[in-house]
Parts: sequence; structure tokens; C-alpha cells
Amino acid sequence: MPFFYALMRASEAGWQGVLSELMRPMTRELLANTLILATSVTIASGVMAIAAAWCTERCDLPARGFLRVIASLPLSLPAFVSSYAWASLGPWFQGMAGAILILSLASMPLIYLPMAAALRGMDPAFEEVARGLGGGRWRILLRIVLPQAAPALGGGALLVSSHMLAEFGALSFLSVQTFTTAIFQQYDLQFDNASAALLSSVLMALCLPLAFGELYLRKGRRRARVARGNARQPAPAKLSTLQKIIALAGFTLFAALSVGVPFVTMLYWLIQGTSIGQGVERLWPALMGSLAYSLPGGLLITLLALPLVLASMRASGLFVVLAERLPYLVHGLPGLVIALALIYVAIRHAPMLYQTPALVFAAYVMLFLPLAQSAIRASAELIPPELEDVARSLGKGPITAFLRVTLPALASGLGASLAMVVLQLMRELTATLLLAPSGVTTLATEFWSYTNDRAYAAAAPFAALLVLASGLPVYIFTVRSLPKS
Amino acid sequence: MYALNRRHAMLSGAALALAAGSRDAFAQSETLTIYNGQHRQMTDAIVAAFTNATGIKVVIRQGESSQLANQLIEEGANSPADLFYSEQAPPIAAIDEKGLLAPASAEALSAIPANLASVNKTWLAIAQRCRVVAYNKAMVKDAELPKSILECATPAWKDRVGYVIRDGFQEQIMAIVKLKGRDAALAWLKGLKANGRLYNGNGAAMMAVENGEIATALINNYYWYGVAKERGEDKMKSALHYVAKGDPGALVNLSPAGVLKTAKNAATAQKFLTFMVSEEGQKAAVATYAEYPVRPGIVSPFKLKPLDEIGAIVTQSDIGGAQLAYDLEREAGIL
Repeated sequence: MPFFYALMRASEAGWQGVLSELMRPMTRELLANTLILATSVTIASGVMAIAAAWCTERCDLPARGFLRVIASLPLSLPAFVSSYAWASLGPWFQGMAGAILILSLASMPLIYLPMAAALRGMDPAFEEVARGLGGGRWRILLRIVLPQAAPALGGGALLVSSHMLAEFGALSFLSVQTFTTAIFQQYDLQFDNASAALLSSVLMALCLPLAFGELYLRKGRRRARVARGNARQPAPAKLSTLQKIIALAGFTLFAALSVGVPFVTMLYWLIQGTSIGQGVERLWPALMGSLAYSLPGGLLITLLALPLVLASMRASGLFVVLAERLPYLVHGLPGLVIALALIYVAIRHAPMLYQTPALVFAAYVMLFLPLAQSAIRASAELIPPELEDVARSLGKGPITAFLRVTLPALASGLGASLAMVVLQLMRELTATLLLAPSGVTTLATEFWSYTNDRAYAAAAPFAALLVLASGLPVYIFTVRSLPKS
Repeated sequence: MYALNRRHAMLSGAALALAAGSRDAFAQSETLTIYNGQHRQMTDAIVAAFTNATGIKVVIRQGESSQLANQLIEEGANSPADLFYSEQAPPIAAIDEKGLLAPASAEALSAIPANLASVNKTWLAIAQRCRVVAYNKAMVKDAELPKSILECATPAWKDRVGYVIRDGFQEQIMAIVKLKGRDAALAWLKGLKANGRLYNGNGAAMMAVENGEIATALINNYYWYGVAKERGEDKMKSALHYVAKGDPGALVNLSPAGVLKTAKNAATAQKFLTFMVSEEGQKAAVATYAEYPVRPGIVSPFKLKPLDEIGAIVTQSDIGGAQLAYDLEREAGIL
């Protein structure tokens, strides 16, 4: 639907208009910026994530449980909150370089978590065989470990890169222009939005290779094993003292940059300034608003993602592939485009739904379905389909077999999906702003409106509460998805 | 399903109120819906005073003025909005062009000078602000301060001027077009792109000047007062410069409001509009934000430079819509 909305609006410009719009120097500039940002952030956070996952899962570093928490910590801080904190420090962090640094730090856990889970789930036998054949540590990493972790790595990278295509709040604090910020500007400054719609279409075209490229990484491989072998931990790699110090210093630096700086800055603003105390009476309704939308939203999205994932794994064919991939295309669209498409359709065809929670949830589903899909898929891939067949052959009906065999095995994936989606919904800004019933506020929207007015001290409590409220899903997500050894 | 239930609840609530036969009960349950693009604290203050005086509840839909205007255009006849309060004139002018606004009440119009309302009397200004050059006192000497806004886009100010392309910027472009012509405005925009530094909001640009990141910024006057309120006026490292009379940089912009043609509570919406320019409403409006009142005789608690000393010679009706500004911004490659 947003797809057709964007294309329809874009076509209002006519072929001439479309061509001249696409050939503008500004469009080229935006394309370059968008691609540079998405690639650099994905690569940088991917490299950090691989290094961190290797350290916490395969090395004999002390306090690895604690290091795991550190590596997932940025999840508790929305990227627009940390960008606002960094940007308020000075102009040095604004611009492309700063944006790459700050957003890579913020996105790292999205790759780290699946990567660490994959490293833990891997059968060490392959590596031992390779070592027995004389493979060096790097060679094993490149030839044996990374290919096995490819789906985890690819899924995480897909999330990060499509996030970057749609990121708006953080980039507007950091003064970097991409397709998404330009779309916002067009909507902000003009009233018939053909060119903004055209930019959205280009954005969807950019998501296309991403979504299908990730599919290629998983193609034709089977990861579930009926006989899981001896589930055991590989012997951790021994590190020299110097290597340990370097690794620990890396974690310390990561923690200081990703959460330390934003927290200290926020504390500073909390103490400084006279706008403090303004809007305190709004904290409670905003918290309630956040919970009332994010919890049911997370549940709904997880429930919808489950059949999609199962169908795509058990059935094949063009339709299934499309149904499963479509959400990923939409995921790269800014919430603004989706919200406007929903407004357009609801006003004309379902006015009784307009400005009701139902429409907000519809937008949430479009925006965040892929998060749930990725999380559920990670655990679904480990369930051999034969298990269900065995249950069927023992005389159970398909529903009982699913409920008794498949569903329990999916529990950790479902939990991760729920936590992940709730977390993202807590931070969602644009769709909530545009679609929610008038007067509804959330922590994210309140924070946004106060920082727009530069009432830093007034904004700080909303940010703090947002971080606290995100804490529980993050805790569940990290602790539950990384089982203790 | 929730939506339907809620709808039912509302319908049965309304039915009950009618059945009770009490006009009072019905009036009590009436709520006015405002789409508000203006700074939140100001509208909150006006609404609080209104609810206090009349007992009528007001629901505020908060957003960026132009996004709300876009939304109103999409909503068309089905809009749940009663009144639109815009931070700037171009968004409300855009919905007016689509024929979405009802004429403002004579009572509201009579409270303010005639040049502060639209030509066809569909919307009127609730507050005014002016364009200024904020400068860091340690980085710019008084003698260096620009006489004309056009100077700021020249290489002499390379990397020393911050600009924001929203909230007052389009009106600024239109003022240059009006006084110096289209080519001058285009050259000015190209000069800013080449020599200036883009900020994403007036507030961010103001803080950049105050913190010494950049020497000057082209912003609206009240942002300085906002920071001064937060930090203490005597501690401010920046000050405001008003360019010479007769220059397009000496410009007063309006924050207007208008009642929607499709308002469900049209009479109450007009009542609110009238309240916004009443003595009480104006006092509430200017108490929170350092914008200028529109009603004669109201004094702002902030120490503002008197409007008649600013010497603006371009008015809102000279500027009109912002389509040309938008086209120029695109031609200059700023958008």
C-alpha cells in the first residue's frame, strides 16, 4: 500500500518531472550520502560486532558475562537520544564522520546479538577438524566460522542497513542529509508532495538489492540438525596478556563512547538550565502512552510474523518469497511515508478507523514486521521439520503437533521478537505522531517536541524514562537470547 | 475492534447527554480539536486560560505546522480538526488556497490591526516574531555586523554564518524577491549554500552561536530569549543584531490561526479564535514565548526591541504563499 501510494504520488509529476527530478545534482548528492552512510555504518558495526562476539564467546577473557552486557548496552539508548547528546557537545560530531561513528556504535548490538548466538550454537567439530588439518586461526575464522554465521551476520546487516536508509531523528540532530531527511524536508516545505514521493520510490529501489541479497546468503543451506551431536562449548582461545588488555580496552572505549558520553551529557542537562520541571505532569501520560502502544503492538507483530516465517521455511514458490520479503522493502521506508499512505487510504475508504489506535498498529506492523521475522527465523531455522513429521506419524493432528512440538521450540525466538519489537516501538516517532488519536503522547514524541524547542532540561526526564522503560526488553533480549553456558 | 468500541462508547455517551435533555451537560462534553504547529508551551498557556474561563475542553494535536497542513489537505472534508494554529504563514496559506478555511469572526478580526489578517479574512495572526542575526559577542565586532542580510551570503562571511531552511526562512526569501528581485534571491541562496553552514533548526543554530561554534546565525528573535531564560541574561555570550531599516532582513513574520470550514464545533472554534486575540488570551500567549503580541496595548514581559524600531517594510500580504521560495531553494540546490 505505501508502495502504491508513493508510486501514485510520484507519477503525478509526469515523466518529464520524474526525469528532471532524478537528474538533479541534489538527488545525486543525496544518493551518495545515503549509500556512504548505509555502507559505512553496516561495515563498521559489523566489524565491531564480529570482534566483540569473538571476544565474548571464544576467548578466555575475564568477566565475559559482563562484557556481553556491555556489548548489548547501546540497545537501551535510542539513536536519536544519543545523537542529540553528542550533537549538543559541539559541531565536531555533526556531519558524515560523526554520524558514521555514532550510528555504528548504536547499531552494533543488532549484529552482535545474532552473531554471538550463532557462535554459541555452532558445533566446534568443524573448527577442530580444520585445525587438525593445519588451518591457522584467521583462516579458520574466514573459511569455517564466518560462513556458518552468514545468516546471522546477514540478517543483522540487513536490519542495520535498512535502518540507515530510514533513519531520521538521529540524522537531523547530526545534520546529515539523506533521502529520508530530504523527504521530511520536502513534506515540511511544500504541499503537493510529488517529489517527496519520488524520493521514497528511489528509497524503496535501494532496499530491493538489500532484501534479496540477504536471502541469497541463506539460500540452499540447511542449518537444523536432527542429531545435534555433543552440545559442548569449544575450548576458548588463549589470549596473551597484551591481547587481553587490548580487548578489554576496546570494550571500555566502546562503553564510554556508546553509552557513557550520552549519559553524562544528559545528566548535565538535567542539572543545568531552568526549563527543568517543565512538563513533569506529562511524564505519566507519556509513559502510559508508550506502554499502551508498544506492548500490544509487539504482541500483534510477533503473532503476524510467526506464520510468515514458518510458511517461508516450509513452503516454496514465488508468492511465499514475495510475502516474506515485502516487509523488508517497506522497512527501508521512513515512517512518514507509511503514515501518509495510511492517512490517505483511511480518510477515503475507512474514515471510522482514522485517528484510532487501529491505524497506528497497522503502521507499526508495516514498519517493524521484519524485526520479528528475523528474530523468529533465527530460532526456527534450528528446528528440524522432521520433528513435526515424527509427531504426525505418532498420530497427532497438525495443530497439536505444531502446539506441542514446534511452538515450544520457538519460544526463545518469540521472546526475542517480542522484546525487540517492543523496544523499537517505544522509540517510534513519526507514525505515532501522525496517526495516533489527538492528544495521545509517548515518551519519544514528548522528548522530540521538547528538544525541538531546545528545552534540554525539560527533555532530559523523558529521555531518562525512555531509557529505563527500554531496560526491561533489553534485559530480556540479551539475557534470554544468550543462554548461559 | 477497539476503535469500534470506542466509537460506540462515544456515540452512546452523546446519546445519553442528549437524552438527559440538559443543554449544559452537552456543552460540557464538547471538546475542541486544535491542530497545533505553534510552539507547544504558548498554545498550552492559551488553552489553559480558555478552559479556565469557559470550561470547554481542548484536545491538542501537536506537530510541525507544514506536516499538519499536509495532513489537513489529505483529510479534506473528513478532518476532525476544528482550528489550525500555524507557527508560520505559508502552511496556513497553503490550506487556505485549497479552500479549507472558514471566514474568521468579525469580533476576532476587529481585535487586531487589519494588516495582520489574510486578505480574504480567513486567518489572522496570534503572535509576531522577527528575523534577526544572532551573533557571538567574542567572535564578531560591532563594526563588522552586516548592514544587509544579503552580505551574509558573501565570501567575506565564509564559514561564519549559520542558517536554517525552515521556520521563517521561506518568508525571508520572499522578502528578498519582493525588494531585490528573483535573481538576487537566487544568488543569495547560492551564496549561503557555498559560504554558510546549514543547521537543522533555529534552536540548534542559536545554541551554536552561544557556544562559539559559529559566529552568526540567521534566526527568529525569540530563540535568544529562550536560551537567556534558561541561562540567565547576563551570562549570555551572544546578542541579537537587527539589520538596517528597509533591508529585506528587517522582517516581521506571523503565527496565524484559522477555523476549518469542516469544523464540527464551528461556533466554539470561532469563540476560541476570538479568545486567542482577547486581552486574556494575548497575555497568556506572550507570557511564555518572546513573540510579539498582535493586540494593541498588550506588553510582553520580555525586553523586546519595539516593533516600530525594526522598520520592516515587507508585510505578510506582500509575501503570500511560499511556492516561489520553494522553487528557488531547489534551483539553488539547498533543497
